[in-house]
Amino acid sequence: MTIADIKNMFTDPTKDILRKKKALNRSASLAWYVLRIIILLAIGYIIIYPLFYMIATSLRSRQSYYDSARVWIPSSVTIDFNYSEAWKFIKYPEGLANTVILEIIAGLIEVVTCSIVAYGFARFKFKLKPLFTAGLFLTILVPEIMVIIPRMVTYSKMDILGIFGLLADLTNGAVDLRPNLIGSPLAFYLPSLFAMGLRSGILIYIYIQFFKGLPYELEEAAWVDGAGPVKTFVSIALPSSSVVFTTVTVFSMIWHWNDTFLASMYVDSNFPLSVHLNRINQTLIAAAYYPHDPETQSFLMAACFLFILPPLIFYMFMQRKFIESIDRVGITG
Amino acid sequence: MMKKKKYRSIEQLKSRYGYGFTALWVIGFILFFGFPVIQSILYSFSTVNLSADGVNTNFVGLKNYQYLFKEHPDYTGWLTGDLSTILYSLPIILLVSLVLSLLLNQKFKGRIFFRAVYFVPVIIASGAVITLMFQTTSEELTGAGVSTAITSSMFSIEDVVGWLNIPDKIAQILKDIINNIFDLLWSCGVQTVLFIAGLQSIPATLYEASKVEGATKWEEFWFITFPSLGSVTLLVAVYTMVDIFTDTRNTVVNKAYTMINSGRFDETSAMLWAYFALVGIIMGAILFIYNRFLLKRWQ
Repeated sequence: MTIADIKNMFTDPTKDILRKKKALNRSASLAWYVLRIIILLAIGYIIIYPLFYMIATSLRSRQSYYDSARVWIPSSVTIDFNYSEAWKFIKYPEGLANTVILEIIAGLIEVVTCSIVAYGFARFKFKLKPLFTAGLFLTILVPEIMVIIPRMVTYSKMDILGIFGLLADLTNGAVDLRPNLIGSPLAFYLPSLFAMGLRSGILIYIYIQFFKGLPYELEEAAWVDGAGPVKTFVSIALPSSSVVFTTVTVFSMIWHWNDTFLASMYVDSNFPLSVHLNRINQTLIAAAYYPHDPETQSFLMAACFLFILPPLIFYMFMQRKFIESIDRVGITG
Repeated sequence: MMKKKKYRSIEQLKSRYGYGFTALWVIGFILFFGFPVIQSILYSFSTVNLSADGVNTNFVGLKNYQYLFKEHPDYTGWLTGDLSTILYSLPIILLVSLVLSLLLNQKFKGRIFFRAVYFVPVIIASGAVITLMFQTTSEELTGAGVSTAITSSMFSIEDVVGWLNIPDKIAQILKDIINNIFDLLWSCGVQTVLFIAGLQSIPATLYEASKVEGATKWEEFWFITFPSLGSVTLLVAVYTMVDIFTDTRNTVVNKAYTMINSGRFDETSAMLWAYFALVGIIMGAILFIYNRFLLKRWQ
């Protein structure tokens, strides 16, 4: 009997089983890893495919339109012709400026005001809170399109609680201070200013969930030290909320950038980019291009790419922060 | 003499500040939501004439609705078409985004890369681009694209339909789903993000405890993950509903656009409210079933 045999006699037989089980587990988890990567790659391919298709098509030159065998790498490439045409059709520089003036600023206002309102919802108890919460859910539930008509009517003669209207009635219309907001940036800013902008309900909801998760002790301490709620909000809650700000800002910016609905209702000239893109078919027909023509596809896709380029760049910069922030926003019940 | 206190208690003080913080929203709610909602319901029961000095309304009762459902040649057809789209899209989007979020939530190498890819639809997929990409170019896209390539190489839908004797209506829906696979996947972006945020907030201690008790992954999902996601699922369901509901590719919404621009406010309001009421009933039913039979059982 060798020493090794004696050693074997005293080792726990379960150790061997455990080791085998561990090895099995490891191979199972490796298999799962590979499977997951394959699933993710497959779905990722479907998701990314239209984007590649868009870019590839936008680069095709006139000569290669009918070469259907080469979808991905066109036999000849033009950048300037397709893109300069697309640039013209969606009125790129003006449209971009309008988007920034109307939509992006409204989005930024919304991000700020929603955070204030959500802090009130998350941190304070008051009698009417259940009623307000129900109202908040109604604003999430009832889509913008349901209220757009009366809003347009209101905007055409903006009034606050009927005061100016009464004044106009009293003076038989001589003093009519009600401004027409249709077509002015105020039509976008005002709802945002009152936390009732584009999908504000969902943004407030995300904020509330995050604020509820912030440790209360810190704010309590600030209270005890004599800081008022406003100061507590500004100097304690806000600095620790960069995570939720990232998420909400990305959402708000993107939704405003892509908004065609409000823009086509509130504005009658100087449209933002999204509306120009939405109406590109009509523009193409007016310029004697047929929208379903394969040649026109290149312009269309070039226009699409021009449109998504700024958000795509924005996303590239924000990407890491955004992805990490998602993990930490924490939406619970 | 006792000094008169300014506030009776800290609770009272706090409740005042609560109103202070939400005041902005309350004004906004009345001005930009409550008032317009009532107004637009009123419009749907009236005839609306636009004139230089504003809007004249005449109450006519149910006339607009009667017109829509009895005399309008296409309205009921548009409604059923749009509702069936909503009905099949909602479960698919919910399921896909839940699965995606579960996959993306786990820690593994390359997670950041995959997330970056999967969030791209969040950036692009709304509004004009998706309409252009999936509608005007749909023939081209599917003609040269993956959708038909995959499905026709695996099986022909027509063959399977004939073989299984599936009724025509369901077969049509199946075909729609397969043809809209990009569209559906692209609509999952925000939902996936919301689900991941929800998953992250489930305390890790729950999973540790279940591991000690020897629960399988499957049990873990059904008894911890799914019930904990309750309110997030609700939010996602509502978001998805509203998103599909207001999609401009829906016939009713599409027609509403053109009608608003031509100034027929009364008929458009009636059209939209009837549509919203129907969707609301479906939404309510789904939420009720979800609450009653799925969530309650595990809580």
